[in-house]
Amino acid sequence: MAVLEKGSPRRESRSIVEWLNDERVRSVLYQAIVAIVVVVVARYLFINTSENLQARGMSSGFDFLAGSAGFSIAWTVLPYQAGDTYFHVYLVGIVNTLVVSLVAILFTTLLGFFVGIMRLSKNWLISKMASWYVEILRNTPLLLQILFWFLAVFSLLPSPRQSYGVLDMFFLNNRGFYMPAPVPGDGFDLTMITIVIAIVATYATAVWAKKRQMATGQRFPTFGVGLGIFFGLPALVFLATGAPLTFDFAALKGFNFVGGVSVPPAFCAILLALVIYHSAYMAEAVRAGILSVAHGQTEAAYSLGLRPGMTLRLVIIPQAMRAVVPPMISNWMNVVKNSSLAIAIGYPDLVAVFMQTSLNQSGHAIEIVAMVMLFYMSVSLSISMALNYYNKLVQLKER
Amino acid sequence: MAETMHEDTVFRPKPSLPPPPNTVGVVGWLRKNLFGGPFDSILTIVGGSLIAYFAYTLYLYGIANAVWSAGSYRECLDITRGNGACWAGVSVWMNNYFYGRYPDVEQWRVNLAGVILAVWLAPFWFPKVKAKIATGISAVLTYPFLAAAMLLGGEVGWFLQIMVGIALTAFAAVWLNVAASYAGYGSLRAALMRLSGFENKDERLQKYVLIGAFVVGFVLALLFQATWDLAPVPTVNWGGLFLTLVISGIAISSALPTGVILALGRRSKMPVIRVFCTAFIELFRSVPLITILFMAVTMMPLFLPVEVNLDKLVLVIIAVCIFAAAYMAEIVRGGLQAINKGQYEAAQAMGLNYWKMMTLIIMPQALKLMIPNIVGNFIGLLKDTTLVSIIGLYDILLMAKASGQDTKWLGMHTEPFLFTAAVFFVICFCMSKYSQHLERTIGGGYGRR
Amino acid sequence: MSLETLDSNGSHIASAISDEVVIELNQVNKWFGEFHVLKDIDLTVYKGERIVICGPSGSGKSTLIRCINRLEEHQQGDIVVNGVTMDTNLKNIDAIRREVGMVFQSFNLFPHLTVLENCTLAPIWVKNMPKAEAEQVAMTLLERVKIPEQALKYPGQLSGGQQQRVAIARSLAMNPNVMLFDEPTSALDPEMISEVLDVMVGLAESGMTMLVVTHEMGFAKRVADRVIFMDQGEIVEQNTPGEFFTNPKSDRTKLFLSQILAH
Repeated sequence: MAVLEKGSPRRESRSIVEWLNDERVRSVLYQAIVAIVVVVVARYLFINTSENLQARGMSSGFDFLAGSAGFSIAWTVLPYQAGDTYFHVYLVGIVNTLVVSLVAILFTTLLGFFVGIMRLSKNWLISKMASWYVEILRNTPLLLQILFWFLAVFSLLPSPRQSYGVLDMFFLNNRGFYMPAPVPGDGFDLTMITIVIAIVATYATAVWAKKRQMATGQRFPTFGVGLGIFFGLPALVFLATGAPLTFDFAALKGFNFVGGVSVPPAFCAILLALVIYHSAYMAEAVRAGILSVAHGQTEAAYSLGLRPGMTLRLVIIPQAMRAVVPPMISNWMNVVKNSSLAIAIGYPDLVAVFMQTSLNQSGHAIEIVAMVMLFYMSVSLSISMALNYYNKLVQLKER
Repeated sequence: MAETMHEDTVFRPKPSLPPPPNTVGVVGWLRKNLFGGPFDSILTIVGGSLIAYFAYTLYLYGIANAVWSAGSYRECLDITRGNGACWAGVSVWMNNYFYGRYPDVEQWRVNLAGVILAVWLAPFWFPKVKAKIATGISAVLTYPFLAAAMLLGGEVGWFLQIMVGIALTAFAAVWLNVAASYAGYGSLRAALMRLSGFENKDERLQKYVLIGAFVVGFVLALLFQATWDLAPVPTVNWGGLFLTLVISGIAISSALPTGVILALGRRSKMPVIRVFCTAFIELFRSVPLITILFMAVTMMPLFLPVEVNLDKLVLVIIAVCIFAAAYMAEIVRGGLQAINKGQYEAAQAMGLNYWKMMTLIIMPQALKLMIPNIVGNFIGLLKDTTLVSIIGLYDILLMAKASGQDTKWLGMHTEPFLFTAAVFFVICFCMSKYSQHLERTIGGGYGRR
Repeated sequence: MSLETLDSNGSHIASAISDEVVIELNQVNKWFGEFHVLKDIDLTVYKGERIVICGPSGSGKSTLIRCINRLEEHQQGDIVVNGVTMDTNLKNIDAIRREVGMVFQSFNLFPHLTVLENCTLAPIWVKNMPKAEAEQVAMTLLERVKIPEQALKYPGQLSGGQQQRVAIARSLAMNPNVMLFDEPTSALDPEMISEVLDVMVGLAESGMTMLVVTHEMGFAKRVADRVIFMDQGEIVEQNTPGEFFTNPKSDRTKLFLSQILAH
């Protein structure tokens, strides 16, 4: 370095120093050093691991997945009984995680939009209420909220005999939440088919109405008619075929409820906590998205004679969605990830049944941790691919 | 305006009149914000009564019907019949919520460690004092060792002794610097030169003075440190808010440097480095923290040599640090992307090399832009630290849960959780408000426009 | 500066004022909080009349024209547009806005729609016009503002002057009988100003009733039937451009003109 700085004439043969100062040589050198360090560390870890496994007399590999898991799981969506394979446990865990996440995503999105719009209300009181809702929920840990709902609310519910009931159909007690289970009878397929037809017909009506408006300018009450077709048609067929659907009602037998569909208190607690916690973040995304549309857009639409409702539908929402959707989708990802906190209250999600129980039973730490991480990574990867696709789709064209 | 062609009329503006009374003041405010129309009025009334009901219920539960001293949860229930809070239990357990099972007589050490950190960082808020970055770096690099020695107590190894010596010297230097600044010397270095008479000497000679001063300080600190006789407190006794802050504090202070390195690696032109950094960031961002914690306590012991047996707390701290670094890396990357390309070009045109360009031009601007996100990340990390309770570390949350499972206070869940929630809310809310304040006062470079 | 450029282009456009009153403001007062922005404004605009409003910033001129299509709400006095009295009745506001076009300083084009879609949005959704017809109207207007070839581009892909011309076409697509211009050239580069002013001159020649807030005095001299000078929320002076520029009455107007024409 010093030689070069003093401005010595370039020598014909490149010295080592000069060679090392070459940009490309440096780049290769740095990368080689990093690669070597990583390989050495990996090798060191690998040797340690095999020594450790040998010392503990454990095998490695995925053969254990075919072995039978000797434990039972409190609540599953997929059928499961003690003695099924570990791989089946993995699937059961994934489905349990996905069920609670998807239901939570649905409700958190609805609630989030509601609170976000409340925060934008011109009414000072309403907007302050929404803002305190968001602040309180975002500034306390989710795990604390989960434990609170589970221990301080759902566990303190009365026993089945004194359970809270609505219309003798829905019951809530310390064993869980009970609702009627639909039991389709003969000819119910026809109603199901009609529902599909109704969806197609509603869509077709909307397309036709739009086309007609573009051609003639005449408006068509798409929303009302569509709603009518969507609900009316299946209802007609359902009644015409003699209402072939009965419900299996949950009923108190002895000390507990039998029949119907039920979810355990842990499910209710984790669902409620996830929905409420993430709705605060969703509300912020909605608020920021709508505020990101400049006020001039509203003024321009008004000055053209568009009513407030139409301005919202044709001008504001299409632009706001560009800003709302990306944080909304990453919020959905967080719901899936945070559903793993269910382990704290004993809801059998993937982490609880596989990473905890199965790992304790089989001892295959590395394989199990890898499989669980693989699941979350593939969910995250597919969500971020969908997000990239969306961003490309709605990108504003600029110079 | 009736006037002749040649004479100017003088423009005298009409006086500004007060607005119609129903559009301003309390009435105007109410009309505009609460009773703008029939629908608005209904919303206000419904919302207002909801708030009033909620506040009244909370008042009844938390204050009017609450019990402040009792011997057990049973006694509480006998008085309140379930209609009021049992703050008696919370106050009995209060010490545990804050210190875990750290022995009562030794808790002054925790308090002192906290006070030392606060005093160490206080010069940040003194406008006159320079070398703020050196202050921050000295605290991040040496304070953890001092704190570890103070909190663990017992026999201290030679390495830790040396680090404690350095830490005490650094601490003294920071405050001597403050003193020198306010005494009019400008900085500690200038003061030393002036007092030793080396003011106008060669740079090299000045350096010897500095080294000499450091050695003297270090030896004094080491001697002082050797007089300590602290009872050992193993990490299993650490707990409560204290443990939460230890874990999140270490993770937060390590996350910034590692996050910067990872982010620079991810933006690097060298493919090998870029791939490693991207893989690391994406892997640990896409999985839940709880899986990383499980990985740390189940897999990490397998990775280490057979004879090494790491403390569970150390494993957990490593896991939280990895998690925090991956998230911080993405925040730093966002901040770097927000910097105008012209800044990079200008820096290169001035002949700065990569590291000088980054440390002198890009990072200072990017960090300002990142402040809200960094603080948001800190808040998130503080909240996420509660997950260590699932692994069985007695942080404030597990302590709160445990207090409701104590035989005397069996069933007391609502009160500890409300208390814990209030503690978190105060800390996190203040942090986020402070960051909003910083955002307003600091102001950014060109990136903001 | 633009005084000279436009003057050399031609003399004053023949005025086409009729007796029909289009806009009438009677003792209009408005406050922003405690601040009195409009003080006792009286103004009558006849069909075909072209009015230029000028004045220092903060004098209330933008607020005045924004009250005419109720982007701002006035607190005292009456505003009557096309015989419809402005009040809180949404039907009346709709009727007024349909007949009054507005062009903004910052264009306010809809960035998610193409130029053509920007121009057809309101005719389709407000006037229930068939799409094909609306597109035909829009194309005619885009030709009039001399950018038919940009019809399928997005606003972000156009220059400022082009965007402002699209904004004019978008307003014209509703076939308004009054056009309001709120400093239409203030956000533009000098060379783009003239392309927008040319379009506005063309519009004036076609007999459109126009209220223009601008500092382009050349445009005022050539196009305006009346120039209004505002300061501190009131109309200080109004006159024909000839009288206004050569023989201002008020000392405040003289000061303003000497400052604006000094360069």
